[in-house]
Amino acid sequence: MKDHQGEHFLDAGFWRAFWVMAVISVLLMAVVVVYPIDRWFLPEASTVSTKIDFLFKFSMFFGVPILVYVNGFLIYFSLRYRRSKNDHPDAVGSAIHDHRALETWWTIIPALLMVVLAVLSYFVIPLYYPTNQVAASAVTMEAIGHKFYFEFRYPGLKNSVLNEMHLPIGVPVTLDITSYEQSTDTENEAVIHSFWVPEFRLKQDMVPGMVVPIHFTPSELGTFHIVCSEFCGLGHSHMWGKVIVQSRADFDKWYADQQRAELASAAGVRPISLAGGNPAAGETLFNSKCVVCHNAAPFAQRKVGPGLGNLFHDAGHPRLVNGKEATPEDVAEIIEHGAHGDMGVMPDMRANGLTPKDVANLVAYLQTLRK
Amino acid sequence: MEPIIHSTVEVGRVPSGHIHPPPDTFIKKYVFSLDHKVIAVQYFITSGLFFVLAGLLAELMRAQLAGPNNHVLSATTYNEAYSVHGSAMVWLVVIPLLTGAFGNLVMPLQIGARDVAFPWLNMISFWLFPPAGILLFGSFLFGAPQAGWTEYPPISLQMPFGTSMWCMAIFLIGVSSTITGINFLVTIIKMRAPGMTWTRTPLFVWATGVTAFLSFIATANLSAALAGLFIERTFGVPFYDPLRGGSPVLWQHVFWFYSHPAVYIMILPAFGIVSEIIPTFARRPIFGYKAIAYSSVSIGLLSFMVWAHHMFTSGLQHWEQFLFMALTMIIAVPTGIKIFSWIATLWGGKIRLSSPLLFVLGFLSTFTFGGVTGILLASVPVDIHEHASYFVVAHLHYVLFGGSMFGIFAGVYYWWPKMTGRMLDERLGKWHFWLMFISFNATFLPMHWIGLQGMPRRVAFYDPIYASTNLFVSISAFVLGLSMLIFAYNALRSAKHGEVAGPNPWGARTLEWMIPSPAPYYNFADIPIVLSGPYEYGTPLPYANVTQDHATVPLH
Amino acid sequence: MASHAIAMDDLQYKEVAGQRLLGFLFFLISDCVIFGSFIFVYLYDRHASPVWPPAGAERPDVYLAAVNSIVLFGSGATMHYAMEAIRHANTRRFTAFTVATIILGLMFLSGQAYEYTHLHDTWAGNLFGASFFTLTGMHGFHVFVGVIFLITVLIQTLRGTYTPHRHFGLTAATLYWHFVDVIWVALFFLFYVY
Repeated sequence: MKDHQGEHFLDAGFWRAFWVMAVISVLLMAVVVVYPIDRWFLPEASTVSTKIDFLFKFSMFFGVPILVYVNGFLIYFSLRYRRSKNDHPDAVGSAIHDHRALETWWTIIPALLMVVLAVLSYFVIPLYYPTNQVAASAVTMEAIGHKFYFEFRYPGLKNSVLNEMHLPIGVPVTLDITSYEQSTDTENEAVIHSFWVPEFRLKQDMVPGMVVPIHFTPSELGTFHIVCSEFCGLGHSHMWGKVIVQSRADFDKWYADQQRAELASAAGVRPISLAGGNPAAGETLFNSKCVVCHNAAPFAQRKVGPGLGNLFHDAGHPRLVNGKEATPEDVAEIIEHGAHGDMGVMPDMRANGLTPKDVANLVAYLQTLRK
Repeated sequence: MEPIIHSTVEVGRVPSGHIHPPPDTFIKKYVFSLDHKVIAVQYFITSGLFFVLAGLLAELMRAQLAGPNNHVLSATTYNEAYSVHGSAMVWLVVIPLLTGAFGNLVMPLQIGARDVAFPWLNMISFWLFPPAGILLFGSFLFGAPQAGWTEYPPISLQMPFGTSMWCMAIFLIGVSSTITGINFLVTIIKMRAPGMTWTRTPLFVWATGVTAFLSFIATANLSAALAGLFIERTFGVPFYDPLRGGSPVLWQHVFWFYSHPAVYIMILPAFGIVSEIIPTFARRPIFGYKAIAYSSVSIGLLSFMVWAHHMFTSGLQHWEQFLFMALTMIIAVPTGIKIFSWIATLWGGKIRLSSPLLFVLGFLSTFTFGGVTGILLASVPVDIHEHASYFVVAHLHYVLFGGSMFGIFAGVYYWWPKMTGRMLDERLGKWHFWLMFISFNATFLPMHWIGLQGMPRRVAFYDPIYASTNLFVSISAFVLGLSMLIFAYNALRSAKHGEVAGPNPWGARTLEWMIPSPAPYYNFADIPIVLSGPYEYGTPLPYANVTQDHATVPLH
Repeated sequence: MASHAIAMDDLQYKEVAGQRLLGFLFFLISDCVIFGSFIFVYLYDRHASPVWPPAGAERPDVYLAAVNSIVLFGSGATMHYAMEAIRHANTRRFTAFTVATIILGLMFLSGQAYEYTHLHDTWAGNLFGASFFTLTGMHGFHVFVGVIFLITVLIQTLRGTYTPHRHFGLTAATLYWHFVDVIWVALFFLFYVY
């Protein structure tokens, strides 16, 4: 057995390469922990966000030298140990094919890193879910996934709030997460959604038939995203919401407004005013929400529901009025209350997350769609 | 070195030594062939076709995602596109290529056999494949599946008939996979040439053996899961529908119990290919042969224990989350051992940077990156944030494209001469590699970023803040698709203009290189007798019964 | 299969039979996994349901099933004796025991059919019916295939295909029949006892 590289396993060239890679690793590791890399991440808006980012940085801290050395050595060895023109055609490399110490260390060190990561992660997991002590102090509310919006039920409020979750800063919350289970004649509503607030580093699948409580404490003021992250149907791409974290005072004011509105609506039904509808705002809204199911095109060009082009001047929109052309009030009524028909179910304005102003804007826009 | 032969009888009369008369009709030669090498070519061609189709679906998806609110595809068609893309790539491309194509082409030759244990079943395995593909792509006519390759109920219960076709398609390919797994494992256990003890068996054969085991154990479970979904959709039998008392999470358990071993089915043979190519092009023994062989077995066994790491946000108990996190991290260790061993094989070599090795180097770089992001995802809290985001899309493509596909291309360039008798053009190969490697990273590296920034997967429209990154990704994806044309041209060109290949153009030492290229239908004139392991460069070839002049020095 | 056409000597046959046996065993293992998956589904549903059996579900009669089980296990015994007979080249005994096995197998299937038609549960009615009919139905299908298998090997035996030393087809059929018995043990326990 001949070793064509001579007796020394690792020569000066090897160590030079090793130290160059060490420097690169240290620089990158410094970017990870000293810079630190979280500057590029989303805001850490819940008390658990910092812990997740820490685990991420821990893994990247050790991942970086692994990547640098693997890539570095594969480049270095490929170039350094290239067959040269002077070599005999069937020249062979070193016969050394094991090294107990090296193999032991490259087994033990990654295994140890895994153990540390597992242990660190172990202590973070329960922070997402209510433990007995913390749950006792937390405000409990519900988040229910629907096609295609988020419904929030607050303690003390009769009506749900759709798509916007207002929260006071610093107050621990237990959120009971589930998915709507009913189904209508034409549409089976029960699907899995997923409640993801990237800034909170928080996600929980909304599974019909299960209620999973999760726990968090918002730690920054601001407006953050809720993203549905489990495919739930045609509207999945548009299933977005907001978390609005406010000061205690602002939140209390919002909550009081909700209660007042409940009392007011219990007293009577307000018709939606179409005055001052903005067609441009309506167009933006149409292109973000309605296009899931409707085209701004002739009636026959249906997507899920019929095309809405020339809506007000086309008696061929038979579902709207009996043989007559539709009026703005007719259209507003349909947007407000939804519709059941042969083509399926159109959700009502609450389900679509529309305010009365939105309805006015949409009607104004639809009026501009002439043939 | 003393040969280890089990009995004099084995040396005197070699088992499985008889040669059948050659097939005579066109149908027997090329259509319903029983020859593993022809069946391998059939798999290569069929999978190649589905690779193009699934790749085109990906390009359509990227065209839609080039802007936040494009109208290239409707929401429905986009959903169908990613679902069929994923299903086709897993079940019609990567698994058939690595098992049906490479397993068939290389494994029997490497063990010195004339064919697999059950050639007729091998033919049946292949012929289940085109109908499965027709059913899957045909589903576009009936409302293709939309809920991804994972088809979670309840939504998959509500989808049109195409989802039932998906069930049928995957069931068929599952039967094919099961039969192939049984066939290959029996072949490897029972038909190795005399003297080929386990520790003299090439590492691609080890990898194929473990993969075969996973194939017939895990796939059976998938068949049950799919049958359940199908009968629930068709006959209303309740298993998964929560409105009928069933459980959607149950589907996830049963589905992932198969699908996690499935990803190892998709990578272990690629590991085997890498283990063959590096010693050949470094012209030195593989470092840590036993470690690589045993780590394959441990990865195979562990693969059955980690499935619920796909379900950390599904509502599991905390102890379940912790258990699966721990087991997932354990499986990283044998994988790391392999990567370090391969790199140690490059040390001290006499390296030729030919195309097969370039693809292996690309594999090492990208698969390691995918492995590191996998460890990140193994941590439950990090996964809670990153699950179902573009971070996972990035991870899975780094391991499945960076890992499996680069491994597949490495194997194609390596065994092309053995399969066709012609060499692929080296310069075109290098162009293909560099363009593919650079555009691959340009496509998938930025996805980690947008995933961390909050972009979910399976969406046709997205928040405009991700627009510039998505546009960059889409352009890179287009270039990635173009890079395949270089390979296609190279492959077609080689038929007439490729250099004629001798038996052993790379100067390798495993048995497939000891016979002419392409191999004759009977493989070996005499069954070889194996005296030592196949990677001991610098020593005489360890075979008896093999004509020495077939073992030429490399010319490339 | 091509190998029938080639005259094999004993050593070759032993080798081929060994390969086929291993392949057949792997097949039976994968079949066990399919049953195992549906058994997992049943156990999961059972433990995840707040109430079991689900409202309106009728538990099937354990006595009928016990009688049917004895019939099936009896057929396993008769098949065992049939294999003994062929090893001693006693074709008449073999035929008798194999026919007995087939008859007992058909009796088992009739017992299942009787039970199916007298049970109020339906396949699609509730979670119990779903798992019960799927699993016992799959098992019944396997018994049916087993009966066909046995008829086939019986015909082959009468034609003189097998010898005391060369009878892989019989070995496979017997193994398959015992496998069907073992699965039934699990299903009996699961649906009638537990």
